[in-house]
Amino acid sequence: MKTSRQDPTTAELAVATPEGVLFRLPLAGPAPRLYAMLLDTAIVLAAVNGLGYLLYWIFAKAPGFGVMTATLAEFAIGFAYGALLEGFWNGQTLGKRLFHLRVIDDCGLPLRIEQAWVRNLMRVVDALPLAYLVGGISVLTSPIMQRFGDRVAGTLVIRETPLAAPADQASTRQKYNSFTQYPAIAMRLRRMATPELAALIQDALRRRNELASYARREIYRELAAYLQSEIAAFPDELVEILSDEQYLTNAAGTLFGDERRTILPIALGAQDRPNPV
Amino acid sequence: MILDLERFQLQERPRWSRLESLLADLESRPDRLLKPTESELLQELYAQTAVDLNRVTHGALAPELRQYLERLVARAYAELYYARPTRSELWQPCRWVRILTAFPEAFRRQSRYFALALLVTLLGSALGGLAVRFDPASVDVLLPADYLRNPGLRVHQEENTQNRHLNSAQIEAAFSAQLITHNIEVSLLAAGLGVTFGIGTALLLFENGLLLGAVAVRYTQQGFGLFLTAWLLPHGAFEIPSILIAGQAGFYLARLLLRRREDRNMRQSIREWLLLICGLALMLVWAGLMEAFFSQRHAPVLPYGFKVAIGAAELVLLAIYFLFTGRRETGARTGVGVLAEGP
Repeated sequence: MKTSRQDPTTAELAVATPEGVLFRLPLAGPAPRLYAMLLDTAIVLAAVNGLGYLLYWIFAKAPGFGVMTATLAEFAIGFAYGALLEGFWNGQTLGKRLFHLRVIDDCGLPLRIEQAWVRNLMRVVDALPLAYLVGGISVLTSPIMQRFGDRVAGTLVIRETPLAAPADQASTRQKYNSFTQYPAIAMRLRRMATPELAALIQDALRRRNELASYARREIYRELAAYLQSEIAAFPDELVEILSDEQYLTNAAGTLFGDERRTILPIALGAQDRPNPV
Repeated sequence: MILDLERFQLQERPRWSRLESLLADLESRPDRLLKPTESELLQELYAQTAVDLNRVTHGALAPELRQYLERLVARAYAELYYARPTRSELWQPCRWVRILTAFPEAFRRQSRYFALALLVTLLGSALGGLAVRFDPASVDVLLPADYLRNPGLRVHQEENTQNRHLNSAQIEAAFSAQLITHNIEVSLLAAGLGVTFGIGTALLLFENGLLLGAVAVRYTQQGFGLFLTAWLLPHGAFEIPSILIAGQAGFYLARLLLRRREDRNMRQSIREWLLLICGLALMLVWAGLMEAFFSQRHAPVLPYGFKVAIGAAELVLLAIYFLFTGRRETGARTGVGVLAEGP
């Protein structure tokens, strides 16, 4: 069983296994697929040219047969490169491997060999009228970013950035969190913050050094103002002495960090547990 | 329940690491058979990690950890639910030879789509023929190439050139490769355009028929019917059915895509489609060789009657192949398991 969600940046395939486990796979957008395809095309061209020279040399005394063999070999390599590599190399060509892409079955399982052949043979349609225009439009209009070859073969391309187990969440760990002085408000913050908002705060803090200083100031200011006005209003005497960044660090600590352990027993009765976030 | 993430990670990380190393080992050696204990371990680690994922999804806000666990669960799920064909299974020669019998079986199973392709081509041919017969002005539009418009000139050139010198085998070899690749590409296009719900396939077949009908009538009108038959039949006996089979595959694909998603058996259907493509590609290799090495030789080198007889014999053999090959086995075997079916 599968469902999908697509927005401009985070299209993904959600797979529900027979045991009822739900996991999501991030789908590859058109840009990395294009880069991988360009690299694969360059590799195929290099291979075809190299083979062509070799065959012309081998068939020096029978150039017609050399042309015949080279033409047929070039044609076969054009289709077989993708089909064989994807079929035998778990859904990856050299280009896809370099760009961390993988072709899989649309049920979340590995690609089967016949699927690899079908999606590669269907390139004759996707490449129409030139430069994969038909395939590109198909990817952009498909909820799970499939070109026509993928639709027929029942496949899709996922992003597969190598992931290690995340380290401890250093960004939210701190020596002292002044929000703990106000357990009821901190509790309100935990109850009212949506998972998306909490993830946004965490991302904003984690990407601190990637942001230009003016952008960081602006983002932190807006986030802090939003939290203070719409989610949980901490007393002015506290807010005035905190920078926006410190405010967000405290908020993240409240949402994710150790302070929860101290807040929860104080703030919650048995029937008054927060929604899990 | 809200998780204490730090403690949770500390407790569970060794288990995730074990699963990760087991998966890395399996993925790097697809031919490796799991021992019963390993199999149990994989199942157990998968189940436990799935539970962990569930806990993180519903009990914590830890997008990175969730992503990591999702990836781990996805990899374990793939290992448990998909058995890759081993190399020895893939390289069994009989598996590939079986395509030769599975192809006509697939052709017969989907014969109604072949009939539709034939009908569209015949409609095109009829229109092309009628246009040339009753509207001479349409000749320039339908037959752009000079050798198609002026049969007399073509026949004169061919017969006299043949007298002077034969085409060298070298040129014919290079020509055959061009014919083979071009024809396979056009056939793939016809089969692939099934994704346009068959409209593209129908247009391509219709256009092909239009040209065939116009050429046939043009040559016959001017008394070169025998030349045309001798020219086209030796390779056309394979080439024209191949294009029709490509149309059959295209219409089959269109019908498949028009079905409701839950009614489709994509796995079996794409094998059927692929079988038709494999078969027609083999036919086009033969057609290309015949066209380059045989069809282009005309009287007096090769008498027209002889060429027509060869073409007719090919047609009869092809018909026998399609109608009777694999028929006895059909009851016992479905014929679709030939293409690298995973166990």
